[in-house]
Amino acid sequence: MSVQPIAAASERFPPLPDTGPSRRRGRLPFSPWHLLLAPLAAIMLVPLIWMVIVSLETRQQATTFPPVLIPSGLHFDNYSAAWNAVPFGRFFINSLLYSLATVAGNLLFCSLAAYAFARIRFFGRDVLFVVLLATLMVPFQVILIPTFLIVKQIGLVDSVGGLIMPNLCSAFGIFMLRQFFRTLPIELEEAARIDGTSRLGILFKIVLPLSLPALATLGIIQFMWSWNDFLWPLIIIDSQTHAPLQLGLSQLQGAHFTQWNLLMAGTVMSQIPMLLVFLLAQRWFIRSVAFTGIK
Amino acid sequence: MSAASHAPRAAVRERPSLARRLIRSDHLAGWAFVAPAVILIAVFALIPIGWSLLLSLQSTNLIAPAHYVGLANYRALTKDPAFRSAIGHTLVYTVLFVPISVGGALGIAVALNRKIRGIRFYRLAVFVPLVTSTVATGLIFLWLLDPTFGLVNYVLHLLGLPQQQFLQDPNQALYCIVAMTVWSWVGFDVIIYLAALQGIPQDLLEASEMDGASRWATFRSIVLPLLGPATLFIVVWSTINALQLFDEIYVSTRGGPLGSTTVIVYYLYQQAFQFFNGGYGAAIAYVLFVAILIVTLLQLWVGRRRVYYSS
Amino acid sequence: MKRLILLPLIAAALALSACGGSSSNGSGTSKAASGGTSGGHTTITLWEGYTEAEADSIKALAAEFNKSHPNITVNVQFYGNNDYALQKVLAAIAGGKPPDISYLYGSWAPNIATNPQVVTLNKLIAQDPSFDWNDFWPAGRKVATVNGKIIGIPALVDNLAVVYNKKLFKQAGLATPTPNWTWSDFENAALKLTNPAAKQFGWAYVNDASEDTVWRFWAMLWQAGGSILSPDGKHAAFDSAAGIKAATLLQTLAAKHAIYLDNGSDNYLSVFNGGHIGMLWTGPWDLSQIVQSKVDYGVTTLPGDVNHQTISGPDNWVMFNNGSAHTAAAWTFLKWLTSPAIDLKWATMTGDLPIRASVAKMDGYSKFTSKYPGIAIWAANLANATQARPQITVYPKISTAVGQAVQSVLLGKASPQQALSQAAQQVNGILAAPG
Repeated sequence: MSVQPIAAASERFPPLPDTGPSRRRGRLPFSPWHLLLAPLAAIMLVPLIWMVIVSLETRQQATTFPPVLIPSGLHFDNYSAAWNAVPFGRFFINSLLYSLATVAGNLLFCSLAAYAFARIRFFGRDVLFVVLLATLMVPFQVILIPTFLIVKQIGLVDSVGGLIMPNLCSAFGIFMLRQFFRTLPIELEEAARIDGTSRLGILFKIVLPLSLPALATLGIIQFMWSWNDFLWPLIIIDSQTHAPLQLGLSQLQGAHFTQWNLLMAGTVMSQIPMLLVFLLAQRWFIRSVAFTGIK
Repeated sequence: MSAASHAPRAAVRERPSLARRLIRSDHLAGWAFVAPAVILIAVFALIPIGWSLLLSLQSTNLIAPAHYVGLANYRALTKDPAFRSAIGHTLVYTVLFVPISVGGALGIAVALNRKIRGIRFYRLAVFVPLVTSTVATGLIFLWLLDPTFGLVNYVLHLLGLPQQQFLQDPNQALYCIVAMTVWSWVGFDVIIYLAALQGIPQDLLEASEMDGASRWATFRSIVLPLLGPATLFIVVWSTINALQLFDEIYVSTRGGPLGSTTVIVYYLYQQAFQFFNGGYGAAIAYVLFVAILIVTLLQLWVGRRRVYYSS
Repeated sequence: MKRLILLPLIAAALALSACGGSSSNGSGTSKAASGGTSGGHTTITLWEGYTEAEADSIKALAAEFNKSHPNITVNVQFYGNNDYALQKVLAAIAGGKPPDISYLYGSWAPNIATNPQVVTLNKLIAQDPSFDWNDFWPAGRKVATVNGKIIGIPALVDNLAVVYNKKLFKQAGLATPTPNWTWSDFENAALKLTNPAAKQFGWAYVNDASEDTVWRFWAMLWQAGGSILSPDGKHAAFDSAAGIKAATLLQTLAAKHAIYLDNGSDNYLSVFNGGHIGMLWTGPWDLSQIVQSKVDYGVTTLPGDVNHQTISGPDNWVMFNNGSAHTAAAWTFLKWLTSPAIDLKWATMTGDLPIRASVAKMDGYSKFTSKYPGIAIWAANLANATQARPQITVYPKISTAVGQAVQSVLLGKASPQQALSQAAQQVNGILAAPG
């Protein structure tokens, strides 16, 4: 009995083929969707293109307004200069630790809680859910100082642990996974329960494998948040050895002037891991065939 | 592995011990599952939120020792015209941002959910604004929308259209902020919709098409209802976020020109960290909190009646 | 297969949270070392938000100090820039352990002074005649003093002067500005330098309603003989004839498109460097980029109406009390850092103006300024910074009200009279409010 859901799951999410033949219609030599998607992609890519251009310019070109759109030469040395201006390597490792730990924490703790909210009837469930959601409704600026005081109590000021701890689990992840879990066909779980599988077993053997798209999405979002987080690291970290990337980047940005070419080189470098994570996660969260039937 | 773990459980089922029955009890199981999350969120979010409630009853610059003033901050808020206009700006922003970004994301997600050449590139492109730091986003928009040297006015000029002041015009700035935030956040909703679209069984769509339903009818009658849970989540989340808009204002207009983009959280920031009115800032946060809570409960209530879950 | 994917994730979660815990232990011990005083050796923490040359210089000077003072180690830490730094300082204050020394904006001083941990320096300064407090520029001393209490040592003293593009002046057939320039000379030049077809502006003004908008207006107000508040400090006084005259000049120039309105992102400098702006009112911080952009520039004092006053926006080094050993060490360092010899070094390393009047007269400094035309004008112009903004806790609110008024004048949304009287009314309300 318990083998079947797993088999069903792999059928629901067949591996993503790299490219597939597009169904050609009409006279266009390509899918008409390109006419919509190509301009959309162009608009979305404006910042990246702009940042890459600025990152390859001389300092003088980078501070000219209106901006110089065609750099005089390709100054790749900005990248090494940005890398060396601040201890980038160290910052990268700290950012990676911070991001991976918070992704892991959220996937685990939010899954557990979301499953209970989606599937178990327990005393105070609905009130508790709203109370947790309520934590998303207070602006971060207001809880910054008390959160700092709590982390200080625990003794984690100026450490990577202090970065990670308050971000191990968020109501955002719980709410999102709960919504996804509730769309899963409950019959599979009922069958497994009759079969004697524990709640935990059902979660890990049935629910989570069926929810890979949602888990991957949560993972990407949490990774991005931690990777781009600036204010919390600024408050909690004092020494360079524990600082993540965004804190390092802010050291390239002055009160009166900024070395835009270096800052943009640093920003482009800092974005690469996020784009890689996204590309990797696509495998899990996009099956790519759902709509071919109604194309 | 699964065979080994089954045998003892089968035995338990026949003669459940007291302990086992307790574990099976839904209340205990439910609380056990949520416990780690509840503890973490209680320590790092609920306690700080309680602390800020106390703060809202004090007069403090966050530097000198505070003193208790009761509800004075809240009373002052009711008479604060700047707070009233901040509420107005926030409402206009939210009413525009949420439908545009959610609707746009749905359309983009559906367009991206197909097998055509280069689809991975398109998806990556939609993701790019999301990972771009807010500082960079602000700079790019300030440049694009610069009245004298900006690219957008240049295009308008080529098309023979009148030049605009954009972020420097009190009547346009808030709408420019809407455009900027939709652009930078739509990818967020898109990836959630893409994940949700994976849950739609293929056979349902095929059956519908075989029945001769048009693509639009299939979308309306099958896809849209099945996306209900994700839509509810996205709408609730976008509303919570829109009502707390801050970062994009901070890096672009700083609440101006003439206060036309001063939204509630920006006003809060101004009070707490520019005017050193920490208690007043906390009171603003609490009024906002109650408002968001009411809106969210309303949305969840409507969702409960309208959203279809498979279970 | 799919189930297995989660196992490494969970393992990673546990491993990393353990790792976070252990790294915290590590820092806990290191903090104990840095926070304490042992065997007569004291380690103090200094927070700053410098970048570029200033960041390198403060680290170099701290290293130099640490070498020559074996009993003290100054630990320099970056605390973020601009407004973000304040949130970090506030959190540290709430936690009861602020840094021993922090760079803090002058505009925060009246509020910072309310903190019981802030070290009042009057006694220390009085005990040490060699420190020579009166050698610091008056503008700097005023901002470091709140109700008679000296709560900081000037860390930066700047001011506004006119920077102009010689080429554009020549093209417009104008004589270059002189120190005797009047407002009407200035207005005339700004209009002649304006050419909308070529996207060329006579002047630039930061139009974000922040203090950046306001302080340029204060300079104009003072030049026209006005003042910000009444002598008793209880009422607004900027809505005087002088204020209206200043606002009218702004409105006239803006209405004729002679002003590039900067949105607060400091684009004005790039536009100036691109040859699109004739004159700026700015400080020495912009000079290095102007030099790098190879603009043929000149610097002179601000044009005058009744006088040629300028405005300075000084910042402070503030000491927090973390025990007497730390206070003594911090004071030793600050005395050293702001001593004439080291201040000269700092000024030549960074291009900041000297914070002491005596340093501006030193040979070493004139050698430096001969290489960077203009710096000497700003240094001398500090003598024209005779007034300061009111040192009161509600000043940021006043600034915001006036910023909005100036903005509405620039955008043509209100007449100078209307805008200033409305702002004055708001300011009177702010001043009358208790606390």
